[in-house]
Amino acid sequence: MPGSNYDRDLSVKEGFVLSKFLVKWEMILVYILVLLNLILAVFRSDLFFQKGTIQSIINAGLDVSPLVLGMVFILLLGDIDVSVASQMILGGMVTGLLMDKGVPWVIAVICGILICMVCGAFNGFCVAFIKMPAVITTISTSMLYRGIVEIILGENSLKNFPKWYNKIGWFNVGPIPLSMILFLIMGVIFCFILHRTPFGRKVYIVGNNPTCANYSGISVFKIKMEVFILMGFMAGIGSIFFIGRMGGGVSSSMGTGYEMTAIACAVLGGISTNGGKGKMYGPIIATFIMAFLTYTLGLLGVDPNSKKIFTGVILIITILISTINKQMIKDIKLRTLYHSNKNIEALNDRTNEQIKDLKKQIAACRKSGKSQEISKLQGQIASLKKECDAESAKLWEEQKADEARAKARYSAK
Amino acid sequence: MKKLLRSRNTGLIVVLLILLAAAKILTPTLFTKFMLINTLQNNAIYALLAVGEFVVILTGGIDISIASQLAFVGIICTKISCANPGVPGIVFFIFSILLGALCGALNGFLVGYLHMVPMICTLGTMYIYRGLAFLVSGGEWWFAAKYVDSYRWWAIGKVFGIPMLVWWVVLIMIVIGIFLGFTAPGRRIYAIGTSRESSAVAGIKEPKVTFYAFTICGAMAGLAGMLNTANYAIGYYGMAESFEMTAIAICVLGGTAITGGKGRMDGVALGVIIMAVINSFISMIPGMSVWQKALQGGIIIVAVAINYFTERSAERQALRERGALI
Repeated sequence: MPGSNYDRDLSVKEGFVLSKFLVKWEMILVYILVLLNLILAVFRSDLFFQKGTIQSIINAGLDVSPLVLGMVFILLLGDIDVSVASQMILGGMVTGLLMDKGVPWVIAVICGILICMVCGAFNGFCVAFIKMPAVITTISTSMLYRGIVEIILGENSLKNFPKWYNKIGWFNVGPIPLSMILFLIMGVIFCFILHRTPFGRKVYIVGNNPTCANYSGISVFKIKMEVFILMGFMAGIGSIFFIGRMGGGVSSSMGTGYEMTAIACAVLGGISTNGGKGKMYGPIIATFIMAFLTYTLGLLGVDPNSKKIFTGVILIITILISTINKQMIKDIKLRTLYHSNKNIEALNDRTNEQIKDLKKQIAACRKSGKSQEISKLQGQIASLKKECDAESAKLWEEQKADEARAKARYSAK
Repeated sequence: MKKLLRSRNTGLIVVLLILLAAAKILTPTLFTKFMLINTLQNNAIYALLAVGEFVVILTGGIDISIASQLAFVGIICTKISCANPGVPGIVFFIFSILLGALCGALNGFLVGYLHMVPMICTLGTMYIYRGLAFLVSGGEWWFAAKYVDSYRWWAIGKVFGIPMLVWWVVLIMIVIGIFLGFTAPGRRIYAIGTSRESSAVAGIKEPKVTFYAFTICGAMAGLAGMLNTANYAIGYYGMAESFEMTAIAICVLGGTAITGGKGRMDGVALGVIIMAVINSFISMIPGMSVWQKALQGGIIIVAVAINYFTERSAERQALRERGALI
């Protein structure tokens, strides 16, 4: 029976379909990236084709990149972590303090990353074990971690960091920025973890339905802890990128708002904040989009504070786009075209499906060259449409009459 | 009696008394009349924001754009007032509420009718309002000399020896408290916070309720914007940064469940007073001002954890009474 739900295809592999691939969210992001580049190339061609512009754009935008990679996992769980920037600064401070004491840089850097992981573990403990909401936990821990930095550093700043930190923010390997190479390597590793390992699949299950995950033998506590510690680790790596970009200094007021940029990149990349939806490739492209966007607006003469408006608008619009789906369109149709009457909606749907089948038959007839059949079928379509319209009008009249009767009865009482 | 002992507010009052005792010993100057009024006045802005945030948190949402709304409305009021010194203050008082309500209504529309996640939606509008505040101000700063007295009176004018700002907070807390506790639209806010599904079955339109909850929150933030500039006589686009965190902290401290549906206005009032005492207490001990942020963060975490443990123990108690748990 055509149009029924019973002939569902249950095969897992879809195969490669070009038309579907081209309208994927990741591809749309690529188009946006290309568009941004075109705008820049057209309006500021003098700068765009100059040597070093693109490198500096990428270098400037990628100091937030490690946070984005970690944030994807957190958002996939359906949680959120706004303490990452504070963790980053705390880790950076530990490294700097140890360097001041004359500890070899290897140990100092590792200690910084370890402190970040401890911070992440504390977040994870609160969220997964005490089952506190992630938003309020991480808001308060962000104040806590940054507060610790304020207590220890006060108004001072640390200047003593390993020499190679600066290279990550500013050095180019040939024409390619070093930060981009590192980011892409990390991106590939994270893609592998998320899409090709049991751990990644478990993250998806926990994000979609923790109860279901629990009953299928997955320890939700363990997965959440692991993801939050991973986030802490990435915050530690992020501190290296950040301090390198900032020219090797850290103070307590640095890096505010980085967590929001990281979340914005991840959400722009198509990660649903309800958890369990999204892919790793999107946020990686979105990070570049953010970098180009801020730089493009800057070159076009928009001042940094007005850029915030663009960031906000883009964030809201992208999320609104992702909420548009078949159900929503159906709802709007029901309200506007069918007067909120489900009978009319069902009638129209049925007629549309019949017309679709008839059109398929017409196409088949055209191939075999039966011209008589075609006109007959077209006549059928026209009559079906007419019938449907008449029926809908009748139903609409009935509904109106019902409403009027109900109103009369109500006012009589 | 047993109920009174177990109630959360009793615990908060005990904490408050301990804090006051410690303050009495460590900083005796806190208990002069001048200092007490000053403390209340300085924390009244947090109280206004907390009342708005409280309404939104009751629906199960969160609004992190209130500080930006405050800056946006405050800047606009300041700019108009400084350009036209003749306009009476009451115009700005009403205008700020309306403009704030408009800002909140945008959030409410996006969250309620378009079903965006509150955190992400208000994150976006936070950027937008802060950017708009900069655009309107053009990077300019306004200082005390430019403010007219009729504008400033609405915050610092004194009635019975207490600043107007404090009176506004008291008035608004009573009004919103009555609205939430004793009117049908207010109870609907609690209903959708407790359970969206059952309130939908009961015929409550969730988008509409979310919409007016966010609108109230915006109105409070807008009023706070006008009063903040009037109180401190300073206006710039970056003002009140991260005030929303303090507002959320006050709500949570006052026993509001962040998941929605639980919390009372008297708890929020106690939360405001405790936060005020902690803030002024810390800033009066020399060398302690750097501890402020860390202490605040720590206090929220402990408060939320206590909320959860008491909730869970209450659930276990209920189960035990029914004989389900042995």
